[in-house]
Amino acid sequence: MFRQIARAVVLAVALAIAATVPLRAQDQKGTLVFAVESLGAQTLDPILEGRPGNAVYQAVMYDSLVGFNLEKGGVGPGVAERWELSADGLAWTFYIRPGQTFHNGDKLTAHDVKFSLERQMGPGSLASAAASMRRTIKSIEVIDDLTVKVQTTSPQIGLPPALSRAVAPEGAIMPKAYIEKVGEEEFRKKPIGSGPWKFVRNVPGDRIEFTAVTTPHWRGRPHFKDLTMLLVPEESTRVAMVRTGEAAIASIGPETMLGATRAGLEVLAVPGTMQAIFQFWGTWRPEVKDSPIAKVRVRQALSLAIDRKQVIEHVMNGKARMPHPFATFGYTDFFSADRWKKWADEAYRYDPVLAKKILAEEGYPNGFELKFANTALPGTQFMVDIGTAIADMWTKVGVKVTLKHYEWGSFAPLERGDQAPLTGWASMYRTAGRPDAPWRYNGAFSPDSIQRLLGDKGNCQEACQEFEKTYRALGSELDRAKSTALTDHMVEVTANSWTVIPILEGMGYYAINTKKVGQFAPIPGRHELGDVFERIPRPDQKPWKK
Amino acid sequence: MKRYIARRLMQGAVLLCMVATIVFFLGRLTGNPVDLMLPEDATPEDRAALTQTLGLDGPILDQFAIFVGKAIHGDLGTSIRMKQPAVEAFFDRLPNTLVLIPWAILLGMLLGIPLGVVAALHRGSFLDRAAGTVAVLGIAMPSFWLGILLIFVFSVELGWLPSGRMGGPAHYVLPVITLATFLVAGFMRITRSAMLEVMESEFVKLARIKGLSEAVVIWKHCLRNALIPVLTLWGVFVGNLITGAIVTETVFAWPGIGRLTYEAVIYRDFPLLQAVIILKSILILSINLGVDILYAYVDPRIRVT
Repeated sequence: MFRQIARAVVLAVALAIAATVPLRAQDQKGTLVFAVESLGAQTLDPILEGRPGNAVYQAVMYDSLVGFNLEKGGVGPGVAERWELSADGLAWTFYIRPGQTFHNGDKLTAHDVKFSLERQMGPGSLASAAASMRRTIKSIEVIDDLTVKVQTTSPQIGLPPALSRAVAPEGAIMPKAYIEKVGEEEFRKKPIGSGPWKFVRNVPGDRIEFTAVTTPHWRGRPHFKDLTMLLVPEESTRVAMVRTGEAAIASIGPETMLGATRAGLEVLAVPGTMQAIFQFWGTWRPEVKDSPIAKVRVRQALSLAIDRKQVIEHVMNGKARMPHPFATFGYTDFFSADRWKKWADEAYRYDPVLAKKILAEEGYPNGFELKFANTALPGTQFMVDIGTAIADMWTKVGVKVTLKHYEWGSFAPLERGDQAPLTGWASMYRTAGRPDAPWRYNGAFSPDSIQRLLGDKGNCQEACQEFEKTYRALGSELDRAKSTALTDHMVEVTANSWTVIPILEGMGYYAINTKKVGQFAPIPGRHELGDVFERIPRPDQKPWKK
Repeated sequence: MKRYIARRLMQGAVLLCMVATIVFFLGRLTGNPVDLMLPEDATPEDRAALTQTLGLDGPILDQFAIFVGKAIHGDLGTSIRMKQPAVEAFFDRLPNTLVLIPWAILLGMLLGIPLGVVAALHRGSFLDRAAGTVAVLGIAMPSFWLGILLIFVFSVELGWLPSGRMGGPAHYVLPVITLATFLVAGFMRITRSAMLEVMESEFVKLARIKGLSEAVVIWKHCLRNALIPVLTLWGVFVGNLITGAIVTETVFAWPGIGRLTYEAVIYRDFPLLQAVIILKSILILSINLGVDILYAYVDPRIRVT
């Protein structure tokens, strides 16, 4: 009898232990090491970091008010499981997912959401959207612990996407009580969030270490025990580290893909992360009226002269695809993606004969001189290669291209002011993959934007006016079908202007050591893996298919 | 001697002011951090707000006056990107660079000096030409390429050493070899020419006439005298390594001040860039001053000139 009781007690204790502790011991093992070219500002305070840094490393420990659609890409549930717009279009109500906690055990509530948004808009914030948030958000009201209402100064259809990490970092939720208790300085040293990974250590210029939460998390409970992000600026070194097993995953560019594959590494391509584009500057300005590029058909001819499939095959090693129209992707919200894909496949075809014919009809049978600024963001050398390739293709239809290379930091100032250095020029450019097209269109085409590619306030002609009218209507349209029709129209107006022309839809690339991590899928359109790490299995859990 | 030191200090201070001014204005000619921090769709309002938050909205001369005013009190500003005092960021990373330098110099001297002696002793021979080839290779070979090559051979193919990053002794091997390759060539060349000069001296002839063994003549009398210019070069090399470790630190993911400088340039982090260059200049000026003072003690003619 005594033995039976003793056995029962031992069994009960064993079961109790098995039910609590081993979650970690059995399911979470090893360290996932990720080598990346930049850790941005390498700060764990969301108000001090920009979009890429937030998406790479802050995302692992902070949740965003609005999250991702993991399958399709674009916006999906996050800290808020749903949200709705008021009938007058002037208030968004966000319904917080119950049962969320910060890493110190505090409950995540609507108060934290209000505090976080106000902190992003606050005076010390370096958030790129701080100014627009201050302009558009009138007040933030906590209805109850799980409901928060954001009043806006005008209808803001794009507010939920703007608070999704699919688009911007400003939706990151921070712990109100903790920050108020310890102060900002201490928070920056010992940050806590509500994500599936907890902060351990930040070594500037070298690495950031995290450890997995042991409790279930709505984003998924990590399969690895620890996560280390290494800052390795040189791509060859990153690939070497993956080959030697010092790192499991490393970000790479398309130019390295082939070498990585030959070295036996798995190469993962994240679809729809960016578009490589070229655009024409100041074509509407009076001083350019006699220039060939002031003519829409000439600009179209230059597009027809580009063999995009060759560029995809040889510059991007086949890991890119034909684009949708400017700044649109398969996952773009309120957008007839399939229809536009068909349009783009036809419009962006390679037809040098037609290109030459159009040039001749427009009075340039022997071509003309085109000044072309080739530039690329740091870490995207392939953009320069694409620019060089299309310049070569233009040469083949008789255009004499004067190519000038600019480092990104010195190119950006040229866009501002009167744009005199760029007026009459074409240039390379890019746009990041994000689901909300109107924001990007506003930045490129609005007459009061920085780029103002269709016209400015003093000289806004037909296409410019039509864009402006459509964009404004879109901003206050509450009906989904009408929003889609307006977006389609906005795309049509700008696509037919042939001012900004996509070259290809690019992807993000990663070299993977299959002995270190199991098979996983990225989020379409999301280059960075900050929201993916928790779903990456160990190799024994899900080996890569040969 | 005190007047000499005071004069050199004054010269250093003037040079420093010039460096600070040039860095302040030239840095701003190359772009603006706001361009790199804002997304493509940022509005002019977003831009204006961020510019104000970063303190870059006033006239450039006002910004310069603020910079000078603070710099006098030792405040070189706060890094735009890291939101950390720039001086603090520099001194956080400086030790990481400094731990590489002694090893690189030691390796450079251990290989370069004997090679220089051997080359001088066998002037015009195959050994001399071989040493000359080593020197040319060491100077001509880009450290970027050498670093990647070393990683490929010793990390990827042989699996003997880690590919990069700071860590235990094994992590030092490849970066130190990369840095030292240039030094080997430098030390070899200067030792060779100094040895050739010293070997023609009267006192060397006298030593031989006295019947001293060739080994003693060469390694004791000649080398000791030939090392004086080598030591001068030592000061120059330390300066070069402090400023020139950018490439090696980038290839080997070594979080030193070379990388910090690179990041400050790429992100247009003006306060950090200014601080890093000014502090590096102070470091190099101090080293040069130390070497000059040492020389002035050794050779009184230098004090006069």
